[in-house]
Amino acid sequence: MKPRLTYQPGHSILHRLHPLVKGAWMLFGTILVFVVPDPWAVLAVLGLVLVAFSVAGLRLGQVRGTRLFVTTALLLGGLQILFVRQGPVLVQIGPLAPTIGGVKAGVYVAGRFLSVVFLSYLFVLTTDPNSLAYALMQAGLPYRYGFALITALRLVPIFEQEGQIVYNAQLARGVQYDARSPRRFLTLARQFFLPLLVSALGKVDALAVSMEGRCFGKYPGRTFLRTVHFTRWDAAAAILLLLVTVATASALAVL
Amino acid sequence: MISIEGLSFRFQGSAQYALRDVNLEIAPGEFVVIAGPSGCGKSTLALAIGGYLFRQYDGEAAGKVRVADMDVRQCPIYDVAEVVGLVQQNPEAQFCTLTVQDEVAFGLENRCLPRDEIQDRMAWALSIVGAEHLAGRLLATLSGGEKQKVAIAAMMAAKPQVLIFDEPTSNLDPTATAEVFQVIEHIQARAGITVLVIEHKVDYLLPFKPRLVAMEQGRIVYDGPVTEAHPPRSLPARRPSHPFSYAQGRPSATIGEEPVICVEDLHVGYNAAPVLRGVSLEIWPGEFVAVMGDNGSGKTTFLQSLLGLLKPTQGRVEVLGQDTRHISISRLARQVGFVFQNPDHQLFAESVWQEATFAPRNFGALDEATQARVEALLARCGLGDRTHDHPYRLSYGEKRRLNLISVLAYAPRLILLDELLIGQDPGNAAFLLGLLHERVEQGDTVIMVNHHPEVTCRYASRLIFFNSGQAVVDAPTEEGFRQLAALGKEVYLPSTRRRP
Repeated sequence: MKPRLTYQPGHSILHRLHPLVKGAWMLFGTILVFVVPDPWAVLAVLGLVLVAFSVAGLRLGQVRGTRLFVTTALLLGGLQILFVRQGPVLVQIGPLAPTIGGVKAGVYVAGRFLSVVFLSYLFVLTTDPNSLAYALMQAGLPYRYGFALITALRLVPIFEQEGQIVYNAQLARGVQYDARSPRRFLTLARQFFLPLLVSALGKVDALAVSMEGRCFGKYPGRTFLRTVHFTRWDAAAAILLLLVTVATASALAVL
Repeated sequence: MISIEGLSFRFQGSAQYALRDVNLEIAPGEFVVIAGPSGCGKSTLALAIGGYLFRQYDGEAAGKVRVADMDVRQCPIYDVAEVVGLVQQNPEAQFCTLTVQDEVAFGLENRCLPRDEIQDRMAWALSIVGAEHLAGRLLATLSGGEKQKVAIAAMMAAKPQVLIFDEPTSNLDPTATAEVFQVIEHIQARAGITVLVIEHKVDYLLPFKPRLVAMEQGRIVYDGPVTEAHPPRSLPARRPSHPFSYAQGRPSATIGEEPVICVEDLHVGYNAAPVLRGVSLEIWPGEFVAVMGDNGSGKTTFLQSLLGLLKPTQGRVEVLGQDTRHISISRLARQVGFVFQNPDHQLFAESVWQEATFAPRNFGALDEATQARVEALLARCGLGDRTHDHPYRLSYGEKRRLNLISVLAYAPRLILLDELLIGQDPGNAAFLLGLLHERVEQGDTVIMVNHHPEVTCRYASRLIFFNSGQAVVDAPTEEGFRQLAALGKEVYLPSTRRRP
């Protein structure tokens, strides 16, 4: 089974980049593919993202969901090629007559889609979520929200595991997942989610005791042992981003 | 240090009082064990001393609770937390962060302590629980015992005067249990704080000569030293001898019969990480097999493989003549009952009756005989007059009985139990084991993962011990314990066989 889409520890330059600087680059890339008018520029961005994967020492083929997104992108692109009729016809295959405009539209849509998805992948796979939460809190996010994020990160794999246990327990008692009707579907959903809900409520009680017992919320602020360092490389990456943003905005204004 | 006077508490919506006129005085530096059957009010008392009971739970309270001269019912919870630390049953549920360092520092950061002091206290807290080597680790990668040590360190970092442990070892194997109790003893000796331990496994605490407070139905019924009679912790005398003896590696009475389970060179893994490595064995009708081993040794994986919930990556498993690779789980489940670890993960229906008959209904086998069997089981388990109640309204011990009834309802020939006895007091444990023993005497087969050497000694006919995914001991119980002793697994031996 392929690993889940979660942080993959590593020591590459992308792994070491400050989470907020990396997040800003990701945001820039996402906006860029939507504002540049040229499909080949979008393809270039996608190429750079794939290079970044290589720099990070990650292999896209090993991440769960990649095949699904690539297939979806090809489908979206294919539909554009088939049905957008702009410019000269490239080739006539029976009733199908793909045009140059159609190919550009296909590349544009598929490239945008994959760029956004892979940029998100890159961020998730190379960013320790804990560091992200602490970086956000140190940047001014109220710590209650920061710890809400950390708690969610902590509980997701636990609930995933518990969901598997409940599912197994149901199989062992003869439950068959055969939603023949909406009513049956609702019954199955209720039987599956009720144990998880009860378990979640129990965890909330225990967590509340644990947090209050350690003075969470006693003061409006708090100190931090962990510091997410902002290095010279981070500063350089931030300045570079600023320059690239200005240059891109200027170029787009001229175009 | 702690003074409780006439404390009573009734949770909103409950007819019964969880605590009834509790009076208790505990001096600074005392080591107190609070024992009693499930649902007797032990954990509620812990919540009262920590002050949580009066703020996080709705209910009717009377009486006084004072800790270090603070009126706990009136003081802000943060003030009480400066004095009282509470380590809960499940460390997983009380962690607030993702790494060991963040977790131990969490309470200190909330108190706005400076960085240097946090570092000093963190190093001290980790050293007092013997967990300095865990400092750089992610919590998710720790074993159960390591997690509990970190949970204790997180509380100790605040330097409380009172530390309460609410069944801190209920999810741990004997090795980790012994380690955690050593940590508790070490803390009490080195830090000189008042320690309260809520625990069923009183035998482990005897060397510390604790003061025992025994509770029943919300009242304190005994307060004094631990004796043979207090608390009543031993299981009933040995059951009638097993219906067979072993000869040449198999029960002699089963000669001519086919094995219920045949496992050949079984390998199972998750995400390419091997868990079971080359397990081969046969299990025969009428055997009561105890499966033991440290957490993570492959016991649960082995059990799940027997129902086909996990498929072999190599080798094969044949159950009742069916290869688990070629039969659906729902089909196999008609003859194989499985009780999972956590009672709440296996309650699906809206009433006790529907829950008890859930599986037979799914199998299309809810005939009159089955209904009569379920009625009889519910009556024997004290649930006969609660058939219309929602299963989640039952107590922990009652839920466990219902879990077992819902499997016994369709009379499976093979019963698989994953740590059925977690959190069960000796009385309830003996009752559940009695029901199982009856099935064995009828010729059914029981395979039970458990951490209790006494249970294995008194009830099981055969002992299988897993270590790093391999069945390193597989023998009739007596011989199995001899082999465990030879392997140096002292903590897995019944107390009568351990070296003094």
